[in-house]
Amino acid sequence: MANEKSFMKALKCRECGHEYPLTATHVCEFDFGPLEVVYDYEAIRGSLTRASIESRPQTMWRYRELLPVAGEPTVGTQVGFTPLVKADRLAKRLGIRELWIKNDAVNYPTLSFKDRVVSVALSRAVELGFTTVACASTGNLANSVAANAASAGLKAYVFIPADLEQGKVVNSLVYGANVIGIKGHYDEVNRLCAEIAGKYGWAFVNVNMRPYYAEGSKSLGFEVQEQLGWRIPQHTVIPMASGSLLTKIHKSYQEFSKLGLVPNTKWKVHGAQATGCNPISAAQKAGLDFFKPVKPNTIAKSLAIGTPADGFYSLRVMKDTGGHCDDVTDDEIREGIRLLADCEGIFAETAGGVTVGVAKKLIASGKIPAEDSAVLCITGNGLKTLDAVANHVGQTREIRPSLREFEGLLEAEGAACKA
Amino acid sequence: MPAKAKKKAAKAAKSAAPKEERTRLWLMYPPKQITQPIIWQIAQKFKVVTNVRQASVTGEIGIVCLELSGLRPEVKAAIKWLVSLGISVEPVEINVVES
Repeated sequence: MANEKSFMKALKCRECGHEYPLTATHVCEFDFGPLEVVYDYEAIRGSLTRASIESRPQTMWRYRELLPVAGEPTVGTQVGFTPLVKADRLAKRLGIRELWIKNDAVNYPTLSFKDRVVSVALSRAVELGFTTVACASTGNLANSVAANAASAGLKAYVFIPADLEQGKVVNSLVYGANVIGIKGHYDEVNRLCAEIAGKYGWAFVNVNMRPYYAEGSKSLGFEVQEQLGWRIPQHTVIPMASGSLLTKIHKSYQEFSKLGLVPNTKWKVHGAQATGCNPISAAQKAGLDFFKPVKPNTIAKSLAIGTPADGFYSLRVMKDTGGHCDDVTDDEIREGIRLLADCEGIFAETAGGVTVGVAKKLIASGKIPAEDSAVLCITGNGLKTLDAVANHVGQTREIRPSLREFEGLLEAEGAACKA
Repeated sequence: MPAKAKKKAAKAAKSAAPKEERTRLWLMYPPKQITQPIIWQIAQKFKVVTNVRQASVTGEIGIVCLELSGLRPEVKAAIKWLVSLGISVEPVEINVVES
């Protein structure tokens, strides 16, 4: 790898194409459109090959040329390269020829895909000279910023709604982050956090560091292609909150294809949402290219964004690739979690239940043909959302320390067996 | 009042005075507000400067990207009024609070 070489060219407005220097900035001064990192693909072509990638450590940083850091990463160097599991039992249950699970439920260090975006944002923040980092979050992002900042010796501020469950707060407090609870409605908290981000000279990972932060999601797509044996999956089902993950996985397929690392085959990306917060899904199903904001009411809290920042762009990607979108109820989410756990031994958070539930619908309706192959993206660990399924997974059966009682229990269930 | 105290009081008054601020917002209008001249009304009702950067209007939703400048209490009041009309007022980053 060309160690201290940057392959980034500029930040570019996704709306008007205006270019900006590679600083901590995120919106275009002309039309307030979001900025995105652009790369020097010709230079990357000379540095990044299948052989060079395979020679590197198994982390997300093996694709460093396509990630927005100027030098070697300094934060989250062990993140990524999570398992891609061939899910034969689940494939049979869902009625599809071939199914794979990209399991970011075991991502390091905080068990969600957010470690990817945060390690990129913080590595870039260090390069730009920041010593304090911040985020506004209701869960996974807060945990990841707190943990990764601690490991890098950065000061962290984490803003959360004041009524957030104690369990989620502990997962950030334990790393020594400054956790600030803000009282008020989501909209008010949202506006205040944007204001704080604008006022203080911190690296706010999902505000002024957003162009870099969002690029981290591409690593999930790079890994999928390599782990599949250097090919793009026919279908990818992706949970959507802001919609950013979907657009970045699509971008990862475009980039590998453009660089000749994978054959240029057709792919479809499909979006998954909860029915209780489905602005993108509702728009896609209605054939609209814009979404209408909704008030979230779902157990899938990690997807509960009623006004998704990348909603418009994710709708466009699904349209361009011929992908579809659907949504599932809270009961279907729980069923999806259980199905994945029961068939593959993977315990996903509620967003994973959404992905499995929507995949089931898309396969049943033929939108993902039964003879095709699909990848489902599981983005977080079920241990983080125990409350959502606690009363829906059966109960323990208690007995006294007596073999007779145990055998009586088995007999009562019609499952008696002799050793 | 001694000159030194006067200077200190003037400084304190100055720091307590409302500050000029500039905020960047996405407004999303519900159908019943789409045809209303909301931007004109804001400038009539509040001492703020409005500067539209992008807009998209359909029969189902109106989306305006707006820069609002003025003294902080005026900007805050204008946002409160927009919200009272059922208009979604998001910072330009939209969902700053993520999961």
